[in-house]
Amino acid sequence: MSDIQVARRQRRWHIAVFLLPALIVYTAIMIVPLAQTLNLSLFHNDAQNAVHFVGIENFRTLFVEPRWAAQFWNALRNNFVFFLIHMVVQNPIGIALAALLSIPRLPGRAFYRTAFFVPTMLSFVIVGFAWKLILSPIWGVTPSILGAVHLKWLFAPWLGKESSALITVALISVWQFVGIPMMLIYAALLGIPDEVIEAAEMDGVVGPSQFWKIKLPLILPTIGIVSVLTFVGNFNAFDLIYSAQGALAGPNFSTDILGTFLYRTFFGFQLQLGDHYMGATIATVMFFIILAGVCAYLFLIQKRMRRYQF
Amino acid sequence: MASLALEKVTKSFGKTDVIKGVDLDVREGEFIVFVGPSGCGKSTLLRIIAGLEDQTSGHVRIGDQVVDAVPPAKRGIAMVFQSYALYPHLNVRGNMGLALKQEGIPKAEIEARIKKAADILALDALLDRRPSELSGGQRQRVAIGRAIVRQPKLFLFDEPLSNLDAALRVNTRIEIAKLHRLLGATLVYVTHDQTEAMTLADRIVVLNGGRIEQVGSPMELYKNPANLFVAGFIGSPKMNFIGGAIAAEHGAQTLGIRPENLEIAADGPWSAMVSHVEHLGSDTYVYVEMAEHGLIAARIVGEALHQPGEMVRLKPVPEFLHLFDENGLALPRPA
Ligand SMILES: Nc1ncnc2c1ncn2[C@@H]1O[C@H](COP(=O)(O)OP(=O)(O)O)[C@@H](O)[C@H]1O
Ligand SMILES: [Mg+2]
Repeated sequence: MSDIQVARRQRRWHIAVFLLPALIVYTAIMIVPLAQTLNLSLFHNDAQNAVHFVGIENFRTLFVEPRWAAQFWNALRNNFVFFLIHMVVQNPIGIALAALLSIPRLPGRAFYRTAFFVPTMLSFVIVGFAWKLILSPIWGVTPSILGAVHLKWLFAPWLGKESSALITVALISVWQFVGIPMMLIYAALLGIPDEVIEAAEMDGVVGPSQFWKIKLPLILPTIGIVSVLTFVGNFNAFDLIYSAQGALAGPNFSTDILGTFLYRTFFGFQLQLGDHYMGATIATVMFFIILAGVCAYLFLIQKRMRRYQF
Repeated sequence: MASLALEKVTKSFGKTDVIKGVDLDVREGEFIVFVGPSGCGKSTLLRIIAGLEDQTSGHVRIGDQVVDAVPPAKRGIAMVFQSYALYPHLNVRGNMGLALKQEGIPKAEIEARIKKAADILALDALLDRRPSELSGGQRQRVAIGRAIVRQPKLFLFDEPLSNLDAALRVNTRIEIAKLHRLLGATLVYVTHDQTEAMTLADRIVVLNGGRIEQVGSPMELYKNPANLFVAGFIGSPKMNFIGGAIAAEHGAQTLGIRPENLEIAADGPWSAMVSHVEHLGSDTYVYVEMAEHGLIAARIVGEALHQPGEMVRLKPVPEFLHLFDENGLALPRPA
């Protein structure tokens, strides 16, 4: 009896020893910075540059003080629009592409798969700049291409208009990242055993109804994961907007999302001075938004979803 | 009228010919078993009948209709897969009802058919469970239920017992035989296990390397195998083959004798040394080493007391000798 307990205790030591390296690395690069950011958001400096503990005063400032609140709520709303566009455009297109790729005996499958995935591997700087050039009313190719098919009247400087800039940037991001949901869902579709699909063929469940009645229910767990990845990615987004629209997320902050707002606040931009304390506050808010989203997925959605073992 | 006919069916995957010209007529209500070693093309042939695979040439006829261009669901057949292939996201009722719903059959009728199939297969208590909540044998019954509700003219089974344990396999085998009598439908059943073939079939089709070796009732194949392959494949333990001088005496290249047709008797013509003895209770298998012919099995009814190392004499029952020529084809029985 006591021998067994001794053996168990020894085994626990092994576990600790093996976990230690990962724990140290994770603590050093994740937990400490996160804790410091959270901590920083509770302080502020006064006119004499002395640092005081201010509790949640920074959050109050961010949420209600007009100068900050206007920017914050604008960025948050834009961020949700950005996310929703990804959910209704990127993910359905990703699923559709995956469904097309998984057609048996599709010629040129490897080519299509690579072609759709290549933008994902491009640097955001290249993507942002390339689309800026493509869509430019002055030197862009879009007006002339549209002109060639007599649709020039459709053209507008989409990235430059407040009403369309956010949608345009979001669609560029969709173009860049559609390969990721496509690949994940393609893999999930390949994971469905051939015999299940053949049973469906025998049962007369073919074509679109096969997709809706058999394949889609079986890939729902993957779609859930894709959604949560999209959520995390979108609320951390920064780079594409920075490279396409600049740190001011023009025109007139119409493409400003939390990432760009955080960047300007923390590091300062042009006439605006950097404010580490308010920056940390925004970072904290972003952290909790993402945490809430991921928790909602884990505890509300994933629990109800079944994973299938074939 | 033939309920299924194959006419010169061939199938190649790229350069490999898997089915090399198969002709077969299956009668209404018959239980046909395709048997053969792994990789001989049984599944491929079944999938061609099902329409899951297109034959390279030849025709498939179901009833009086040529179905070469008819999609699987419209052929009036149902198939039970080796892995069961149940829909994991649907419960048992959903699994059985999907095809009917797809056909647009009224709800009440669907319910009635599911009820009837569930009665036959003892699935009533399981109708609301998902496949992941069922045992292997239960999944198997659901897969069969899914086939039954469609009321097909022709059932196709691809090695339906190979994922079950030995005890369940025997039970399910009996269930399938009963089911066939109850439904009276034509049934094509694939297996690599000759015991399953012998016990279930009205007629057995022995396949080898994409060709039919012989078609016949189990006892026909057992008593009159057309060639060496069928002789060796049907029956367990395998038929003994003896060549050389002993075969030549009978004017054959190879002489075959089943273990149950060998006696150990002092006046036997062949001398051999016992190398191993297996006691099964009802029978005893005595394996003997015969100079230049290798290991020979004899099956003795009841208990036989022989020790390894002992010299014995073997006596074949003459009317059960099988003779084969140099091409492996059976010669007429010596009178
Ligand atoms: N889709 C395929 N592509 C290429 N070769 C195949 C395919 N399906 C089966 N084969 C080959 O055909 C032969 C017969 O296969 P199969 O009909 O599954 O044999 P079995 O008698 O064991 O059921 C095997 O050699 C197999 O490798
Ligand atoms: Mg097979």
